[in-house]
Amino acid sequence: MSGRRVLVVAITVAALLAGVGASLALGTIDVPLREVIDSLLGRAEEGPAKQIILQLRLPRTVDAILVGAALGVAGALLQGALGNPLASPDVIGVTAGSGFGAILILLAFPGSIALLPVGALVFGLTAATLVFVVAWIGPDGGGAGRLILAGIAIAALFAAGTTGLMTAYPDRVQSAVFFLAGGLVSDGWDEMKVVWPYFAVGFVLAVSLIRPLDRLALGDDVAASLGTRPRLIRLGAGGAAALLAAASAAIAGLLGFLGLVVPHVIRMAGGTASHGFVVPVSAIGGAALLLAGDTLARTVKPPLELPVGPFMVVIGVPMFLWLLRKAV
Amino acid sequence: MSRAATRAACLAFVLLAAALAAPATADAPKRIVALTPFSANTLAALGVKPIAIGQTLGGDANFAPTLALAHPNGPNMEQLASLRPGLVLSSPTWTRGNRTMRNLDMRVEVPEPLTVLDMYERIEDIAAMVDRERGGRRLVARIKREISRATRALKSRPRVMLVLGVGRTPYVFLPNSWGGYIMQLAGARLVDANAESRSGFARISDEAIVDADPDVIIGVPHARAEDLDGIRDYMRSNEIWKLTQAGQENRIYVWGDDALLQANLDVGSTISRVRTRFLKNR
Repeated sequence: MSGRRVLVVAITVAALLAGVGASLALGTIDVPLREVIDSLLGRAEEGPAKQIILQLRLPRTVDAILVGAALGVAGALLQGALGNPLASPDVIGVTAGSGFGAILILLAFPGSIALLPVGALVFGLTAATLVFVVAWIGPDGGGAGRLILAGIAIAALFAAGTTGLMTAYPDRVQSAVFFLAGGLVSDGWDEMKVVWPYFAVGFVLAVSLIRPLDRLALGDDVAASLGTRPRLIRLGAGGAAALLAAASAAIAGLLGFLGLVVPHVIRMAGGTASHGFVVPVSAIGGAALLLAGDTLARTVKPPLELPVGPFMVVIGVPMFLWLLRKAV
Repeated sequence: MSRAATRAACLAFVLLAAALAAPATADAPKRIVALTPFSANTLAALGVKPIAIGQTLGGDANFAPTLALAHPNGPNMEQLASLRPGLVLSSPTWTRGNRTMRNLDMRVEVPEPLTVLDMYERIEDIAAMVDRERGGRRLVARIKREISRATRALKSRPRVMLVLGVGRTPYVFLPNSWGGYIMQLAGARLVDANAESRSGFARISDEAIVDADPDVIIGVPHARAEDLDGIRDYMRSNEIWKLTQAGQENRIYVWGDDALLQANLDVGSTISRVRTRFLKNR
């Protein structure tokens, strides 16, 4: 690995560690660092401080790491599989589907709020399945262009459904705004218990696709001559991205920006498009970015907690534009 | 009554009630957080002081530290956990937060009434939780007396459209909403185009409004006091509403506080204000 790539890995890992520390140490209530450490090591006495660290901040930090990593990986997989720099979980309909599922629960069945992550997950995966079915049937099925167009159409369908729900329940729209803007919530481990298997399968699939994606980057014909099946790889990458993005939406709402930008930043900073570098470092970078954004969102105006989406944009866009200018 | 006067009256009542109320038993929760105006005011009227109350737009129960509320959880969970509450009186709006509070081993109750009829039972529920049953019964009797006085001698029953929000989009209060029910007690015939909604609000068409021809239109904007004049002027410039009796007779008004939006104990005085200022049916 070149010195430049080692430096990028070192910086992203340092950012991740700093993010974890800040996420656990900072919040509305001042908890002394000593008490934070004692709580994590199981030495703290029972009381609000221990509850705040173990039942509110720790689950939220883990959520941010997993969601950030998942979105970074999902974006890297899709951009590689579709050969399109604009690819992100939005493109395969997951974001729109998850948004519809969550808004359905929030607005039409608010009494069943516990089903919110399930709704987001089920409809996110349903949207992605529809996209794949539409893209794969008929002549020239499985091509990148066809997948993208099918994604745009299915996403429009679910977005229309979301708008319809918001029109039908105007008095409850306020409760949906936070989800649409994207944000983590301090609510313990409940949601992670539901979605962790989807993260696990998505990450395992992503790791297994690293080498085939590198071959696919050479073009479908070359990849096929090397024994890789381009359509199958594309389907696998889409499926893994759908699992990761839907599980992320179930926990943190709609944070599409992260999946689009992080892989580009890593690619430009590392000076390579190798998936062996881009996929794992996008995971670390995505986690670090979301941790930073979430810590800002809940400490900038305490006790109010703001949606994290805008903060990630504030942090990520200047970095992205600077790298883009250098690359150009 | 001005907000300052209301606040002073409320505080005086709290102190009086606190002095008269019987002491709670050892079993009653000591550290109570009331997140809604209704639960905070009920506790105040029962002579129980919560350790914190939920911040509300235009709220006047300024007798305990306030917690800022925001979607989706309601209160900040770290702030709430640090208070170590024995009982949290919450709202259905914070369903997601209520689940988290229970996970943090807090006792959470949601005694929020949807209508005035529902309110009496909810008051007695809260009174039972804090071991002030007798005070609860007295409070219910007082509110019923106040409502009875406020609804006497209706001289007319004007058609009234009660509109939610700041825009010109007619999301109207239905009879099953808090404000809609109070309007009916005040003698109004609600313009609702026969719409039904469990939420108590519905968007009706401008054609239905022209057809119903309301005598009075009242906007409930949930806005800051300094913005009310601008909102009223904006509503009065609505070309469709100008066609109605309310528009032609300049009877388009704006309601300034949350008394028609959220459950509260001052139903009698709200009815009196509505009748005097808007319906003019005394």
